[in-house]
Amino acid sequence: MKKVILTLMAIASVGQLAMAFCGFYVAKAGADLYNNKSEVILVRDGSNTTITMSNDFSGNVKDFAMVVPVPNVLDRSDIQIADRSIFQMLDAYSAPRLVEYYDYNPCGLPMPSMMDVSMEKESTTKMVTYTSLKDNFKYKVTIEAQYSVEEYDIVLLSAKDASGLKRWLVDNGYSIPAKAEHVLEPYIKSGLKFFVVKVDLNKYNPKANGGFLRPLQIKVKSDKFMLPIRLGMANSVGEQDMIVYAFSKRGRVECTNYRTIKMPTDNLVPTFIKPKFGTFYTDVFKNEYRKAGKNAVFLEYAWNVTPTFNGMKCDPCVGNPPYTREIMMAGVPWANQNGVTTFFTRLHVRYTLDKFPEDLFFQETPNTEMYQARYVITNPATGDLSCAEGRVYQDELRLRRRKELIELASLARWNTDSYYDYIAHGTDKVRSNKAIETDHNSKNINVPFWFFGKGDTPHKVLFLLVFGMLIVYSLKRLKLTLVKG
Amino acid sequence: MYSKISTHFNKETADPRYFQILYLGSFLFYGLCFLGWDGDAIKYIAIFASAIVTQMVFSYFTTKQYSSVKSALITSLGLSLLLKTGTIETAILASVFAISSKFLIRVNHKHLFNPANFGIVAAILLTNDAWVSPGQWGSSVLLWFIVGAGGLMMILKVGRIDTSITFLLVFGALLFIRHVIYLGWEPQVWLHKMSNGTLLLYAFFMITDPMTTPNHIKARILWSSLLGGALFVLSSFFYVQTAAIWLLFGVSLLTPIFDKLLIATKYQWNNLTASTINKPNQTT
Repeated sequence: MKKVILTLMAIASVGQLAMAFCGFYVAKAGADLYNNKSEVILVRDGSNTTITMSNDFSGNVKDFAMVVPVPNVLDRSDIQIADRSIFQMLDAYSAPRLVEYYDYNPCGLPMPSMMDVSMEKESTTKMVTYTSLKDNFKYKVTIEAQYSVEEYDIVLLSAKDASGLKRWLVDNGYSIPAKAEHVLEPYIKSGLKFFVVKVDLNKYNPKANGGFLRPLQIKVKSDKFMLPIRLGMANSVGEQDMIVYAFSKRGRVECTNYRTIKMPTDNLVPTFIKPKFGTFYTDVFKNEYRKAGKNAVFLEYAWNVTPTFNGMKCDPCVGNPPYTREIMMAGVPWANQNGVTTFFTRLHVRYTLDKFPEDLFFQETPNTEMYQARYVITNPATGDLSCAEGRVYQDELRLRRRKELIELASLARWNTDSYYDYIAHGTDKVRSNKAIETDHNSKNINVPFWFFGKGDTPHKVLFLLVFGMLIVYSLKRLKLTLVKG
Repeated sequence: MYSKISTHFNKETADPRYFQILYLGSFLFYGLCFLGWDGDAIKYIAIFASAIVTQMVFSYFTTKQYSSVKSALITSLGLSLLLKTGTIETAILASVFAISSKFLIRVNHKHLFNPANFGIVAAILLTNDAWVSPGQWGSSVLLWFIVGAGGLMMILKVGRIDTSITFLLVFGALLFIRHVIYLGWEPQVWLHKMSNGTLLLYAFFMITDPMTTPNHIKARILWSSLLGGALFVLSSFFYVQTAAIWLLFGVSLLTPIFDKLLIATKYQWNNLTASTINKPNQTT
């Protein structure tokens, strides 16, 4: 029996199939964190949404299958094949970045100011399996449409009930995770259709596209601007990461049923994180994720990418900004129209079943403020620093480095005790680089002991404020009664 | 001497608006300091300053009673908590429209719209620069508890608890029937929707304004059921994410009709003591 992954973007999660991991390019300690990752491009225009699902499936293509809930039966023209490179391009352009600066030597000739960047690389994992289709109405399943789109065979199903759909899928060779039926039910009752994909082995050329399947791009029409993540969680208990690249005409895209939080940015961090920036950023993300109660969406990048926009497209750029061709490839129909803005938002969400009970809903906002997650390292001046200015510089350097370590400890929760040399000698000598395990798996809300537990400071402060006010208020009322009496 | 001070003190604190200001203020503080909202101080100052100035100007030409500045503060806090804008001009526009609506759009000696709600609607309609972030509070059960407990205290004092409770009951019940019983989602999905901070603030602070809700209790129950029902329909079937704001605007138009059909005495902010809060008919 073959396995099928049910999800919007086939994120999912079945461990037994090979998963392509391609973490940060320098990643070591944090490599496992992004194992379960998917990428999706969302383009919102009025009530039209174009969704492009990345596809890094690397197993045997005959095992590939994907089920995506969609709001309506798609026309053939609503289904396109996108180029894989568009994901790499958008990721490289918008990934959190490390910027490197050099100090001038106050005693000698100024060194030319250099700037260098490195970035985290990201990729997606997914896998699926496939079977042949069979028409059968006893399942109360209707095949609404059937298309052959290059190497993909696509069928659009509507169903009357979840058990029928499940039996249909099972009898056709798909193995459905036990919990999926649970989630299929509400989708069917909400009137959603199912977009079921497999690969036509006769048309598939394993030599093309580096052996990867190409991303599918679908256009749906609905007032709902959402991503049905629940299906992808049906058979996974662990954390899954999703990167959303969103395009809109107005401004930033934000989540409406979970908080959308900016990642910290422009922090000065020690120079020794350069070779392990990937690990560093993974830990920063992990820390922010934990601090936010594990149920928030994070903003990593927001920029006006209108091709005719003359301003800077990034600062600094870690990858080429997308131009008309790439933006069109991402599914933005208005990219070549003059005078229409294209605003790009990158969101990163790490979700689990217990913290994300609902699918993700989004809205476009008129917020056009640019934002990028960026961290800065500054290399010390080299050469003779024995002049008076040089000594002052060295004092300042030590102070700065102390601050950088504090920043590192608070951002990524690294144990900075072992980096004492970094301040003392003003050099990059480092004894060890052990990162603290940041995930305490603390259950944040556990009244009444919650208050004395770790973390969740915001709620504790709010709690104290309100509680204090209630006490003051009650005392005053009490006094009122006493005076009257 | 003590009793004099004490009497003065109690007279002042008997006005529920003090508690309201403190309470909403703590939420603004929480949002800015802990939820990572954009802390653009000038924008908040602009909202407060323009609201107070507008209130003073209108008071000068009408009642010449400046104690109503408290109301202007509450409106500014409401705007700061709910409205997001890109520019200061939009923030000022919202603030001025909010306060002006209190003086200019009146029926039966009551202003028709909740001022903060009117300001938000005006800013969204008139500029391309204003929006509401329904997700900004997140959904924490604990937050639910805190907003609920504090909100309850406050509206007990204002005497509009019926509005909040009815609204939450109607909306919550319909949502439960649709999502849990009919669609088959787990109860957590319902809980997640119900514990949205924006919904709770709306239920406890926006729709309990004694000036823009009907005077008679029966009318208020009908009025808030209507609001809860309509919000359920718009959010569950039409996916209008910010439906609450538009609905309150629409339902406010019905308040004078309810007031005409079911007659009761208008609410007074200042004439309150603990004993008369729940008996509005005794106030004059």
